[in-house]
Amino acid sequence: MVRFPKATTAWLLLTPMMTIIIGVVGYPLIKTVYYSFTAAHLASPATTDRWVGFKNYLKALGNTKFLDSIENTAYFVSVSVSAEIVIGVLVALLLNQTFKGRTLLRALLILPLALPTVVNAMMWRLIYGPDFGALNALLTQIGLMAEYQSWLGDPDLALWMVAVADIWKNFPLVALITLAALQTISKDLIEAATLDGANAWQRFWTVVFPAIIAPVSVALVLRTIEAFKVFDIIYVMTRGGPANSTKTVSFHVYQEAFAYMRIGSGASYALIVVLISAVLIATYLWLIKKQGNTA
Amino acid sequence: MTALSLKNINKSFGEIQVIRDINLDIKPGEFVVFVGPSGCGKSTLLRMIAGLEEISSGEFWIQDRRADQLPASERDIAMVFQSYALYPHMTLAENIGFPLRLGNQPKEIIEKKVQEIASILRLEKFLDRKPGQISGGQRQRVAIGRALARDPKVILLDEPLSNLDAALRLEMRIELAKLHKQLEATMIYVTHDQVEAMTLADRIVILNNGEIAQVGSPLDLYTKPANTFVAEFIGSPKMNLFPASITEGHPGETKINLIGSSSNLMVNKDIEPNNELHLGIRPEHMTPSDEGAIKGIVTSTEQLGSDTYIYFDSETKEQAVARLNGITAIRTGEKISFDASQEHYHLFSPGGDRIN
Ligand SMILES: Nc1ncnc2c1ncn2[C@@H]1O[C@H](COP(=O)(O)OP(=O)(O)OP(=O)(O)O)[C@@H](O)[C@H]1O
Ligand SMILES: [Mg+2]
Repeated sequence: MVRFPKATTAWLLLTPMMTIIIGVVGYPLIKTVYYSFTAAHLASPATTDRWVGFKNYLKALGNTKFLDSIENTAYFVSVSVSAEIVIGVLVALLLNQTFKGRTLLRALLILPLALPTVVNAMMWRLIYGPDFGALNALLTQIGLMAEYQSWLGDPDLALWMVAVADIWKNFPLVALITLAALQTISKDLIEAATLDGANAWQRFWTVVFPAIIAPVSVALVLRTIEAFKVFDIIYVMTRGGPANSTKTVSFHVYQEAFAYMRIGSGASYALIVVLISAVLIATYLWLIKKQGNTA
Repeated sequence: MTALSLKNINKSFGEIQVIRDINLDIKPGEFVVFVGPSGCGKSTLLRMIAGLEEISSGEFWIQDRRADQLPASERDIAMVFQSYALYPHMTLAENIGFPLRLGNQPKEIIEKKVQEIASILRLEKFLDRKPGQISGGQRQRVAIGRALARDPKVILLDEPLSNLDAALRLEMRIELAKLHKQLEATMIYVTHDQVEAMTLADRIVILNNGEIAQVGSPLDLYTKPANTFVAEFIGSPKMNLFPASITEGHPGETKINLIGSSSNLMVNKDIEPNNELHLGIRPEHMTPSDEGAIKGIVTSTEQLGSDTYIYFDSETKEQAVARLNGITAIRTGEKISFDASQEHYHLFSPGGDRIN
């Protein structure tokens, strides 16, 4: 049998995977970078190679609609992710107690996660429906509201309502990750803290919090990156409306590149979004590493 | 005065009763060891004293205060866990000082106390490290240090040495004994290692199946085991128990027959005739003798250098063992006979209780 040095073997084994990754990720990426410097338009093939330098980028950064979409995205990310973390951790703490029906509730927790985003979006669109929606019915019947409201039709409300739908679907991920971390906490540690004189709140901060902070920040990273890319839920529920109030960056890119068919400037938007995501990811990786060092 | 007092304590988990009618008074400054086989309820009893487990029925008193309903944090009892249960993200100094920080003590006092404890336990050099960066024995000392921080009246230790290797266990055992003398705190120590029990305890509580089998000083338990359970539990190798009967007794003298054997042993005492006794003799009290009453065939020997264990099939059909000093030339398959002087006889009734 021929024996290669270890590194050679590793490279040999990696080659098929690398080829595929370069083919599916690398090539389109390079192509996108290339297009972002051209005036490429889907409807006129002749424009594909018309080089325009940094014009697309300059235009993008001066485009108030794009800047608005960044602001919308920032709102959406901070609202939904922070709510998901808070609700997720609280639910995990509850489900970590011993009570009857706990196993059933834990199983139910998977349900929203298992739902495809599009199905979830359609379900919430029905709930929010201005005429026959469950939310209107509920709120008027318990007397909290006098008349039906168009939840997704109100520019001041729509983004929040979409965020609620996203929170409902994604808090279970945070809850499951936290629950797994909670289950690794030894009972002795809690009891030791009790004997040391710690009350429930102090026990949480000295024993529980340090044990869950690392996994919860991982969940935070994952959710932030996902939420920043939010597209399908917006597409199904509001298509960016009303009055662009729910238009996020991904949706803006989609519109520019595929609805208006301006591939060149769409590509430049897309790359700006990638850059922001990269910064986010790097920040969080740094955070995690820092935590790993102090823990 | 008593430090702790347990009166008719019972504990059940659902249908299953694991602690039965425990009565025990513990004096201030006493070192009490709970010992017994796995699952006999040692930890449960300790946890009830700590307040981590509710008492199903009975009374628990701390000095002259009824304490069964007192929350764990108000009992002034500290506990050292088998798993050490150190807070992994805190330094050793923070771990030891944690109970004081919760008590809102001023910083300088906490620091002084931590230094003091660290010097007793020889931990000064490690105070800035985290529990993950020290050895098992050092972690054990930190766990003890944290228990000492608040100067508790009572310290509970649940198998604190069982995660350590043999050498370290011995070292820590000696340190614990020293520490107890130095601190004068009441200590309750759980173990299933009888050597730890014998060497550390002022008083040993032997538990069997949730009940107290015997309470006494280590030597009491060794010289006068109250029943066959204690007789076999204390001592290594364990006591030989031979089925025996007493058919006749002359005044001041009783003849004990070993069942299955033609020879008799004599005791200068009056004992009621009985057909189903057990005669117990410790391996170290068996002396080889050509006319010995206990006869058998050697099945195996263990040479420990300082001692030799001789295992043999006795005429009574029991496997038995003798412990002889030094190295001997006795071989497997040899016929052998032993004698023992009568002050080392332990006689047990059919129910297992001591009768002499
Ligand atoms: N929470 C519980 N629920 C039900 N049964 C329990 C519980 N805790 C302990 N037991 C049972 O009570 C009995 C005594 O347990 P305990 O832990 O006190 O034993 P132990 O003497 O400490 O044993 P070991 O030497 O193995 O630690 C065991 O039979 C155990 O199965
Ligand atoms: Mg135990």
